[in-house]
Amino acid sequence: MKTIMLTVNGEAYELAVAPNDMLLDVIRDKLDLTGAKKGCDTGACGACTVIMDGEPILSCMTLAVRCHGREITTIEGLAPRGELHPLQQAAIDHNAVQCGFCTPGWLLSAKALLDGNPHPSQEEVRTAIAGNLCRCTGYKKIEDAISAVAGRNQGVVKGKNRD
Amino acid sequence: MANTDLDSVEQYDAIGTSPDRSDAKSKATGRAVFIEDMHFRGMLYGKVLRSKFAHARILSIDTARAEKMPGVRGVVTGADIPVLHGEALKDDCFLARDKVRYRGEGVAAVAAVDEETAEEALSLIDVCYEELPAVFDPEEAIKPEAPLIHEQLGAYRHAPGIEPISGTNICNYFHLEKGDVDKGFAEADLIIEDKFTTGMQQHCTLETHCGICLIDDDNRLTLWATNDSPYRTRKEIADALKIPQINVRVICAPYIGGNFGGKGGLKAEAAAIALAWKIRNKPIRVLFTREEEFTSAIVRHPSVIYLKTGVKKDGAITARAVRMYFATGAYAEKGPTITRFGGVSGAGPYNIPNVKIEASCVYTNRQLSGAMRGYSGPQAAWAYESHMDNVACKLGIDPLEFRLRHVYTDGDTHASGQEIYSEGLKECLEKIGERMEWGKKSLGRNRGKGVACMERAVKTPFGSAAFVKVNEDGTVDLLSSTTEVGQGADTVLCQIVAEELGVPFDWVKKATPDTSTTPYDTSTTSSRSTFHMGNAAKAAAADAKGQILKLAAELLKTNADDLAIKGGNVYLKDNGGSSLSIAQVLGKHFGHSATVLGRGFYYPHLEVPVEYFSTHMIFWLLGAHGVEVEVNRQTGEVKILKVYAAMDVGKALHPSNCTAQLEGGVSMGLGFALYENFIFRGGDFLNPSLLDYKIPTALEMPEIEPIIVECAHEEGPYGAKGIGETTNVSLPPALANAIYDAVGVRIHELPITPEKILYALKQVSEKKTQQRADADPATVGNPFGGKK
Repeated sequence: MKTIMLTVNGEAYELAVAPNDMLLDVIRDKLDLTGAKKGCDTGACGACTVIMDGEPILSCMTLAVRCHGREITTIEGLAPRGELHPLQQAAIDHNAVQCGFCTPGWLLSAKALLDGNPHPSQEEVRTAIAGNLCRCTGYKKIEDAISAVAGRNQGVVKGKNRD
Repeated sequence: MANTDLDSVEQYDAIGTSPDRSDAKSKATGRAVFIEDMHFRGMLYGKVLRSKFAHARILSIDTARAEKMPGVRGVVTGADIPVLHGEALKDDCFLARDKVRYRGEGVAAVAAVDEETAEEALSLIDVCYEELPAVFDPEEAIKPEAPLIHEQLGAYRHAPGIEPISGTNICNYFHLEKGDVDKGFAEADLIIEDKFTTGMQQHCTLETHCGICLIDDDNRLTLWATNDSPYRTRKEIADALKIPQINVRVICAPYIGGNFGGKGGLKAEAAAIALAWKIRNKPIRVLFTREEEFTSAIVRHPSVIYLKTGVKKDGAITARAVRMYFATGAYAEKGPTITRFGGVSGAGPYNIPNVKIEASCVYTNRQLSGAMRGYSGPQAAWAYESHMDNVACKLGIDPLEFRLRHVYTDGDTHASGQEIYSEGLKECLEKIGERMEWGKKSLGRNRGKGVACMERAVKTPFGSAAFVKVNEDGTVDLLSSTTEVGQGADTVLCQIVAEELGVPFDWVKKATPDTSTTPYDTSTTSSRSTFHMGNAAKAAAADAKGQILKLAAELLKTNADDLAIKGGNVYLKDNGGSSLSIAQVLGKHFGHSATVLGRGFYYPHLEVPVEYFSTHMIFWLLGAHGVEVEVNRQTGEVKILKVYAAMDVGKALHPSNCTAQLEGGVSMGLGFALYENFIFRGGDFLNPSLLDYKIPTALEMPEIEPIIVECAHEEGPYGAKGIGETTNVSLPPALANAIYDAVGVRIHELPITPEKILYALKQVSEKKTQQRADADPATVGNPFGGKK
């Protein structure tokens, strides 16, 4: 076991982890932050996506010992005081949620995108979530949700849009 | 029977609006609880040892070394639970006994203090096999010399209407005739024959299968599961273990991470039950890995379908004969009923006077095939809709016009003998034609348009029940065993209760299915929930409303008939101003100790004898797709320019959820059409991962235009039918038809890979060269002698 320091959603943790512990298992099992999901355990589905130092990463493929001193944001950190992040609100408004298993992952990919690029093109939006598989939605309403927030960043007001 | 004036008369508060899904917030915040988030004190973790052979006799299993490993709490083999389970045909074991029938079949299972220990212990189990000849292709498997996969087929218990053929690999044979096909073919000017095949597709739900099972010393079993149908599962378990249904409690996880038909029956549950049967009083969890999803859950049935159609020169269809083979893998799973439904719809949604359909469900030594979105609809539609274009082409008739001429309409007789009613299919095709500017707008070189339509049966006749509990403050619990698998059932059922009872939508909450509390429902499958459970929930709400109005009438000294409820308030119809809240009505009658309970049960009654999976349906799922493509002649790649997706939903109770289903169906249909397939080399399966088995990402998705058609059904809640099951079904043939329109090649085998297109283009070009050499200009450039 090795001790690492980790900041997760603004809180500092000192954790004892095994050399082969993955970040996903650590945040789910040791921190009880279960919003990140294990959909494949091989880095192929994106359900385990979290943000590390501003970048979206696959936590199922990331060794916890490599995260010493890093800052992590999980889906639970997106709405810390019960308020919804604009992306979460847009996900609800645009009916972009079905089974919900992939939702935390693509929301974090989208947050990382918009934090670095507040005015993405539609192609940039699609590329940002290309690593987040969704079997339910066909991605259209997900793209609509992200684009609506990006549009608001550009001063374009997009309201609740239900077709 | 179509009830077209339903929606024009009524003004609804909750119906036809698209409120926020009741589960959206908890899912968007990551708070929604899925089964992998559930833990119980003392829970053990199970892992399954799987066969490496497609077909082999088990000579011995030695578990001694595994049992002694520290942390291991028990090892179980098929000998510990020597019983069979299944739905329509009881042929499946909890763990293999005597022999294994596919690569990936469970042979033994270990329960340990953690998953790593359980996994390690598997390597300490010694199994001796004697390999047997295997058969993988359904047409090989029906030959007399094929290795027999189930020697005991004739002895298995099965549901009525299922016809296993003892001494063969055919576990159900379905046959249907209408008119006289021989006479029909004799009358034809032209007979066109085709063969089509489909490959394996996996559901790829983002959440894998999981079961957590606890059995106590009194044989009381509790199963927490990612299961789509708790009552169906309870019955299957109780039947297999020969224990009363009351001793089996199936509790669904609060949310299920995708289903598409894949989470019915016993998958991960089987191993969890086997372990718990031996290791008592401990909850034991078996959670499938992604690889197990591919090797040991279920897939869509690969199929081989032969079609033969007789036509007159003027385009009249005189007869159609269809022969279908569905490869069900090593165990029947839902294959027998899938074959039945595939057979019923084998000739397509057309008015054809003489029809003969034969459908066989065939065992092979592959992983199990079972229910998957569309059941057998996608295979059947791939064949009959590709064939329809081929026939139209041979006749020189426009394919959309040909369909519109033959598509059945109210009053026509289906191949099953049932009279068609509430048919919105023609409208789906017409709307797609309008939007695509069919016959008007040309897309240019190497571009083309295609259409296809489909019918799919809804499983009939099966019942659904619901309870409505009105609380002291007027809020409402809906108790229903319909599972929320992402389709939006919780939301639409709450809308129905809110509408019927007259309370705001967000006052209603649906309970998590649990066979000890939520009442009977046959299954969350077949796009039956909105119609069947919707009717049950509506009846339960109406029952509760009647009781509230009666109580209010006493308080207001009037007749219940003069009262109504809106926004949670009871008011006099003539005088909207004077009102009492539901809470006041209950409080004034009962003080602080009050409730009203409503109950509802819906069962479709048809004018035919009750059959297990009737061939007459309470409604048909009807829809169509239009596709515009561009084909790259150099690479064989297909670029999809736009998809038009239409479904007749009866009445769109939640329009946004309808378009969500239409869009999601396009994604699953595109995967099936273009790239999803299992790659085998002999018995070996080469791509059991999401890295090597590609499903569509956001980048692959084309522009989609969803089209909702509403041909109300008089027995549906507010006229509604269903949608989710079949929004993928007619997309692959529409795409193939568009490819034909673009470059003149007809692909007969799914998926439509670039290699197949290039090969077909090469054949056309070689044929052209040959034809030029033969100096026959009449057919140059046309592989079929039609319009291209």
